[in-house]
Amino acid sequence: MEKYPHIFSPGRIGSLNTKNRIKYAATETNFPYGDGCVSDREVAYMEAQARGGPGIVTTQGAYPDKEGEGKGFKGMMAIYDDCFIPGLARIADVIRQNDALSCLQILHCGREGGVDLDYCLMSSVVPQKLSYFKPPREITTLEIKKTVKDHIMAARRAVKAGFDMIELSGIVGYLISTFISSYTNKRKDEYGGGIRERCRLMVEVIQGVKAEVGDKIPVGIRLCGLELLDDRGGNTIEESIESFRIAEEAGADYLSVTIGWHESSIPVITRDVPMGHWLYVSREIRKHVKVPVTMAFRQFLPSIPEKAIADGTIDFWEMCRPMIADPQMPVKIQEGREDEIIPCIACNLCFSRLYYHQPIMCSVRPTVGHEKDASWGYYGFSMVEKKKNVVIIGAGPAGLQCASVAAKRGHNVKLFEKDEVPGGSVLLASRVDDGSEELMRVVNTLQVECKNDGVELNYGVECSPEMVNKMNADVLVIAAGASVAAPPIGFSGPIFTPKVCMQSPDALPSRLAIIGGGGIGLGIAVFLIRNGDYSITVIEGSSKLGRDVNPFYLWRYTKLLRDKKAIILTGATIKDIKDMVLFVATPKGERQIEIDGIITAEYEAPLNLKRLYERSAPDIHIIGDAKKPRRLNNAIHDGYRLGMVI
Amino acid sequence: MIPIIDEIRCTGCGGCIEICPPQAIEMREEKAFIDAELCEECGFCAAHCPTNAITVPFPMSSETV
Repeated sequence: MEKYPHIFSPGRIGSLNTKNRIKYAATETNFPYGDGCVSDREVAYMEAQARGGPGIVTTQGAYPDKEGEGKGFKGMMAIYDDCFIPGLARIADVIRQNDALSCLQILHCGREGGVDLDYCLMSSVVPQKLSYFKPPREITTLEIKKTVKDHIMAARRAVKAGFDMIELSGIVGYLISTFISSYTNKRKDEYGGGIRERCRLMVEVIQGVKAEVGDKIPVGIRLCGLELLDDRGGNTIEESIESFRIAEEAGADYLSVTIGWHESSIPVITRDVPMGHWLYVSREIRKHVKVPVTMAFRQFLPSIPEKAIADGTIDFWEMCRPMIADPQMPVKIQEGREDEIIPCIACNLCFSRLYYHQPIMCSVRPTVGHEKDASWGYYGFSMVEKKKNVVIIGAGPAGLQCASVAAKRGHNVKLFEKDEVPGGSVLLASRVDDGSEELMRVVNTLQVECKNDGVELNYGVECSPEMVNKMNADVLVIAAGASVAAPPIGFSGPIFTPKVCMQSPDALPSRLAIIGGGGIGLGIAVFLIRNGDYSITVIEGSSKLGRDVNPFYLWRYTKLLRDKKAIILTGATIKDIKDMVLFVATPKGERQIEIDGIITAEYEAPLNLKRLYERSAPDIHIIGDAKKPRRLNNAIHDGYRLGMVI
Repeated sequence: MIPIIDEIRCTGCGGCIEICPPQAIEMREEKAFIDAELCEECGFCAAHCPTNAITVPFPMSSETV
């Protein structure tokens, strides 16, 4: 409590008091049904958020129109009919029962809507930059009047369902934002022109909703503080500030500041954006308005919002991703258990899942969407009847996660790591790019969990089959990581592994070919480009570069490589090697690449492991990269799922 | 939900096998086959499939579950 007095001080929005300054921000999940009805899974997820201790819990955006033009996600919640009220009321109930204020967000997705249709609706027809979204159709004046009414009716239903507050959304390309932005609003009628005219739809919605719900229900709005669309004629920051002032004037009781559109060409929420980076926008906006200002965006550590609230940059700290990763973050901060917080690593797996029409998942919290399923142990595991001796080899994310879950269930767990420190591949991955060090937070938390759960941690000890035998292990888990694939035959120059590259980049020659353009190869390329003057060729056999890399990161990595004139060859195979020259066949013809060294960035599951250990324990499992080299989320999920059933 | 494979559209290219994180897909009689025990329902195969042969059903209402 003392460490963060501002975060845990009471707050006020409109006529309501909040117990602290934390607001769980609206987050789409795809947990509701395709017809817009709330599912048990969504209620359980929202209950977990409310139990975690924020002062305000916001629902995911609910679309207000029966046509589905506002629907932007396959499993988006709906509020266009009274039949949705009972389901919505279940969410309001679980929030109230946990002593938090409930806030329902009404969201018409506009430029990103019409997920089940063949068009989307927006202010003017501006072709999509992201091919994923539907071709736009211009909204008519009649339809504008209807959408205002839809919002008002939605607010009425939200109040009936028992919500304490209403939130509107005009960000990233959603309907209201397409009117506010000069990039998308080319209208000649009273809804287009200067910033005041472009804000007319927003004003009509705010005023209409306020008039409907009365003074006792606060109405807030999320707006874009900085569109990052300068390259396409978007709003200036002055115009954005003006939109906040106009919203306040129209009666908004709080203002949530957001950054960027989904089609902005500047990174906004990835790890390379320093934590707290965007607070300057909120600071500027707060100078011009009197109602409370809230903000999310890369505030992953409580020290950042604590300072921002203290110095008047924000009034409330909003969180989406950090609380997907750990809904109990508020209570853990309050109780001084910060080292137990499961840290969001901004991998954006959750985000990308939405665009695959899948329910969200989280790399670092496998229990997302399973909060009420006892076997997943979100609220704690029941103890096993027969305590087993479990030996785990490898203290990377898979081994640590498996150890922690198995120990929580009551098993006697010993973990062995041949390195002096835990982390496995994360030790390398955490050095690739700006912000990559945040990946180590996962390892640190898992290590703390293991210690708290009573796992015996042995670092700097290579665990042989004989040792496993002697320990009378009932279960052996091999989580020892992958091995580097064999380099191409015939190259007479030096060959390096990723580990060697990252340990001593200065010792590398300057002309390098990286074999393998998946996540590891790209990671090495990015690391080298950022740490020296290398001329790099990436050789990838499949047709797609970095197919296992999240799109949020892939575009930045590809841009970095292109800017530094790296040669990227996809669909490429090495046909021949003569001394220091590679002959590479590509779909565009053969290339000759002169190099001074090769980096092997392809990994494979070690073939001999199972045979080596086969007699050491009656029950043997292989997880993580040792099973098949994949991503961090697979390692953690492998570990968790195995830990659940040992 | 477990992805569904349209055996007429599936060309047996094996792209999904390469991309599947939990190695849940194998080739059976030149068509992709998903092991329901291993599948994590991530949908990567559906997004990757060049012929749109894989779809992941989305539960439309509480009755369809």
